[in-house]
Amino acid sequence: MKLSIGGIWRRPATGGVANPGRPASSSANLVAPRIGNSVWRVTVSIGLVYVMIAGTLTYWQVVRADALTLDPGNPIVIAAQEAILPGRILDARGTVLAKSVRLADGSVLREYLHDPSLGPLLGYRSSRFGTAGIEAAENAILTGLTAQSESDLLLRKLHFQLYQPQDVILGIDMRLQQDAERLMGDRRGAVVAMDPATGRILALVSTPGFDPNLIANPETAAAAFQGLTSDAASPLLDRATQGLYVPGSVFKLVTSIAGLGSGTITARTVYPDQPAEEKTGFLVDGYRVVDGHHPFTGNVALDYTQALEVSCNIYFAHVGLAVGGASMAQWAARLGFGAPLPFVVPTAASQITSGGGPLGGFKDLVELANAAYGQAEVLVTPLQMALVASTIANGGVLMQPQLVIATRDLDGTLRPTPPVQWRSVIDPATASTIANAMEQAVSGAWGIPFAGLGKVPGVPTAGKTGTAQLGGAGEPHSWFVGFAPVHGAKIAVAVLLERAGSGATEAAPLASNLMADYLALPPLSVP
Amino acid sequence: MRAVPPVTARQLGLRLRPRLRRRELGLLVLISAVLLVGRASLASTLAGHLTLGDARLLGVYLASILGVHVAFVLAGRRTDEVLLPTVGLLGGISLLFMERLPQDLVMQQYAGQTFGLAPLQLGWLLLSLLVMGGLGIVVRSDNWLRLYKYTWAAVAIALLLAVFVFGRNVNGAQLDLCVGPVCGQTSELVKVILVVFLAGYLADNRELLAGATTAVGPFQLPPVPYLVPMAIMLGIALSVVSFQHDLGSALLYYLVFLFLLYIATARLSYVFLGLVLFLAGSAVLYELYPVVRLRVDVWLNPWADPQGAGFQTLRALYALGSGGILGTGLGAGLPAVGSAPAIPVIESDFVFAAIAEELGLVGALAVLACYVVIAERGLRIAATAQDDFRALLAAGLTLVVVVQAAIIAGGNIKLVPLTGITLPFVSYGGSSLVANALVIGLLLALSDRGVEPPRPPSPRPRAFRWAGAGRP
Repeated sequence: MKLSIGGIWRRPATGGVANPGRPASSSANLVAPRIGNSVWRVTVSIGLVYVMIAGTLTYWQVVRADALTLDPGNPIVIAAQEAILPGRILDARGTVLAKSVRLADGSVLREYLHDPSLGPLLGYRSSRFGTAGIEAAENAILTGLTAQSESDLLLRKLHFQLYQPQDVILGIDMRLQQDAERLMGDRRGAVVAMDPATGRILALVSTPGFDPNLIANPETAAAAFQGLTSDAASPLLDRATQGLYVPGSVFKLVTSIAGLGSGTITARTVYPDQPAEEKTGFLVDGYRVVDGHHPFTGNVALDYTQALEVSCNIYFAHVGLAVGGASMAQWAARLGFGAPLPFVVPTAASQITSGGGPLGGFKDLVELANAAYGQAEVLVTPLQMALVASTIANGGVLMQPQLVIATRDLDGTLRPTPPVQWRSVIDPATASTIANAMEQAVSGAWGIPFAGLGKVPGVPTAGKTGTAQLGGAGEPHSWFVGFAPVHGAKIAVAVLLERAGSGATEAAPLASNLMADYLALPPLSVP
Repeated sequence: MRAVPPVTARQLGLRLRPRLRRRELGLLVLISAVLLVGRASLASTLAGHLTLGDARLLGVYLASILGVHVAFVLAGRRTDEVLLPTVGLLGGISLLFMERLPQDLVMQQYAGQTFGLAPLQLGWLLLSLLVMGGLGIVVRSDNWLRLYKYTWAAVAIALLLAVFVFGRNVNGAQLDLCVGPVCGQTSELVKVILVVFLAGYLADNRELLAGATTAVGPFQLPPVPYLVPMAIMLGIALSVVSFQHDLGSALLYYLVFLFLLYIATARLSYVFLGLVLFLAGSAVLYELYPVVRLRVDVWLNPWADPQGAGFQTLRALYALGSGGILGTGLGAGLPAVGSAPAIPVIESDFVFAAIAEELGLVGALAVLACYVVIAERGLRIAATAQDDFRALLAAGLTLVVVVQAAIIAGGNIKLVPLTGITLPFVSYGGSSLVANALVIGLLLALSDRGVEPPRPPSPRPRAFRWAGAGRP
């Protein structure tokens, strides 16, 4: 290799001969290469070594800095637990959900509003068991360990004030949250209510819940934690974000979005063979897809709106097969399926198939046909289904679900978190087609027996029930997904009741009550 | 027996031929300003209002560097003008951090008085400046290094073995040798001597090593017979320091050896062979020594045992995280757990993590940049040297500093397994400072291209040949 960078790195003078320190050797026939060239290469490699060190340093100090600063083992975090009074957590109306007080002995105690629905929502902050939920996710803000920007950090340094605890303000309306908790009663399940236009979460309930005071208080912490972890009903699990459930018919909304969005079907598409298949079952590769609504519909070949109204499995199996596995997977992914959602607390990834098969993950047409109406390997979180409803309600635009709507400095400066549009999934016309079909489902003559109890009295309501068959004995999961009013929706909900029976009789009336109560509330001035 | 003639100042090269060093002066003014700002930042953070605090130690230090500069100017040699300010900046940062850390981390009594961390470090820094300045002015010939390479090798081995016999045990590693009240880490001095030996040996034999081969059947291997003396010397050094659990030094010796072998021969096959041997040796050490296994395991996953083996590595990483891009500011980081700093041996092995926390990524990169500057200056001196020995010596001396810095900085940030070794010019400790000052002093001397050319060995030994005396 000939290098000619910079005159000094070439050493014409030396080359095994100009070596006056020693007598002429007998190895005159051997000529060593110029030292200057190899010195140059060594210089470059030393430079590369330092570039690697600089790169690693950058990784730790920039990419991983916040994660390291918040690691529970970090002495700063440990010291901060003693030194800092973390900020409060408030609901959208300013109700204090969590605050910290310093006790006479100098220790810090976290106090929560006494309400079992707060446990799954907020998590907890305990000197013994660490943090969970929002308390963990927003720990940086609450304790003020990290700044929101480098300029912030610089300002703090100039004021010799390194920690700036902040209040965290949630979009939750505690009135709605407590209403949902009351409506759930003793039933296990989850309710997610959100504002479709902004993505703000209005209520997030998982039952059974727990009172986080029990874990925050050192005197009751050990016993409470032991009790909660050994409870077969898993109260520590936030069902709304972490629970994965078979969706049943509410998943037909996803199939609708895929079918109409891809142009595979229109609102007027009919499958001529469908009425006949109602009687014998729709044969897919030797498997029969069956239905229960033919006593109503008889020999009518259903169009899309009618099919959603009566929740026709066979129609949606046809749609799913027509769209195809790969395309179904793509449309579901646009709605957030297949990966954890961009949300402040960790969420489970919803799925339309367990994957591995040749048809976009589906192993065969039977699985695809069954998945199209929400059975097979489809598993969803209630939050994911609320996003599906919100997308339809919001003219096809999916907003990022947002739990924290603002933070507030100690000096009162409010920093609102603006709503974030995540994706434009379908065009407004398509969204309107689905919304009309959902309105038919709760108000139409054929739909009333299935979802009529989901109607909010006096308000045009869109909805879809689901009754998720789980195989074996026992009741199915009861689902309702919907929004109200149909045009300019103020609230979208997903209600799941575990093994509670049919969607029509259990989840639908709960959702109706919840939406009605919310629409009756005086509107709030949200920051 | 011949009488030793008296030595005159003239013979030592102390003739006054003032020659301005503008570049050096400019850089020294710059680093003085930087260090004074640092001093003000530290004092202000600690006091809570703007103040310079007690700047006496820094004042003494800066005055001494200026003193060295003036001496260089008066001596009038054409030596490098960048090395002194660069090393001066590192030493100044060291002084600031030693002032900032709890003073009782190191306490020593001299003459009935107890000195803490910062005054002790200042003392060592001043001694280092003296060594650096002295060598940079006085040394005019390299014959005293060139001609006695085997003697130097013997001295090095004797030093290492002496530690073995008389050494003091520190942190499970036998590293210190005490002469009266002064204790020193001999491996620091040995690294310099080792470079002198390697430079001498390679300069004499590089044509053979680069060109000749030993045929074993169909394979063309390097000329084994010519490698043997060097391998023996290196083998002894490596086994002794490994046995003393001084893994950082072992790694440093070996890497510098490989670099020098490559510079002398330009044969990549040596480097590959060396790396293969290195891996084999590492595997043996991994099996043989629990401490090596521990270090490697911690490197792979410090989170496996956060309160035990992974403790100090994790604490260093937390420090990096707190530092972020701009750092917490001098005096504002480094949380204490109880009364001790969160990172063990923060004044020595982990000083780089401390810098990265309080000065941030920006400050840590600046410190790294200082070593890159040293590398560039030193290797430039090597590339422009008049002959092979000087080239190899300059390259070896440079590498011994910058490779050592890379080993410990890389260990601090979990790029490579951690080995206990100092960050040159920054870590607390006299042996390290003085040995590295020796390196820079020699580099300065070698950078003066106006010095007399080396002469063939004289049949009659003369006194003070090393000082270049007796020029006809």
